[in-house]
Amino acid sequence: MDETLQNPANDGTQPAPPGKEAHSSGESRALAFGIAGWLLPGLGHALQMMWGRALIVFFAVGLLVFAGASMKGNVFTRQGTDAFDTLGYIADMGTGSFYLFARAIETSGADVSHADGDYGTRLLATAGVLNLLAALHAYEAARGHKA
Amino acid sequence: MTVVPPLELTHFQAFLLFAVVISVAFGFLGRRRPKDRVKYILWSLFLFLLVGIGVGWAMFPFSR
Repeated sequence: MDETLQNPANDGTQPAPPGKEAHSSGESRALAFGIAGWLLPGLGHALQMMWGRALIVFFAVGLLVFAGASMKGNVFTRQGTDAFDTLGYIADMGTGSFYLFARAIETSGADVSHADGDYGTRLLATAGVLNLLAALHAYEAARGHKA
Repeated sequence: MTVVPPLELTHFQAFLLFAVVISVAFGFLGRRRPKDRVKYILWSLFLFLLVGIGVGWAMFPFSR
């Protein structure tokens, strides 16, 4: 039903209802939690006092990144030559600051000529996608959606 | 600089690592109550293993 019919006094000249500003502030806060969760896995949940989820996300992403880089998986860079490299780079960047951790571990470069390296590449991409999912979860939780 | 020794896992170990970590993470993110989480983790892990091993066996005739 039209809102003006429900409230004839509201002719558009009234100031915005007070809830609107709070809603905007809550949205910004939720976005900040989401970005924090992406930058440091688990931080988005930790800021909301969801300690169990924060720890699990931190260690799950950390373990996958460590295993993937230790198995000499491919840590993609910006200098990709095709679409798959770009997709891999986006997935790897999903780990946020842990991307630098992966680069630091893998000082001697990737070796995907063996199955280990191939698995490592997948584990790194999985870590990134998992962290993006967790960051989205933190964002939704901060918006008050059931999580 | 400290060099991390390369990690060498068998196919099954790598698969198991993936399945366990993802199951636990999904369980914690997707469920709130501890009992529900445990059930979700176990069920998810079982399905990962079932599908992974099932697909592995399904590909066996074409692997050589």
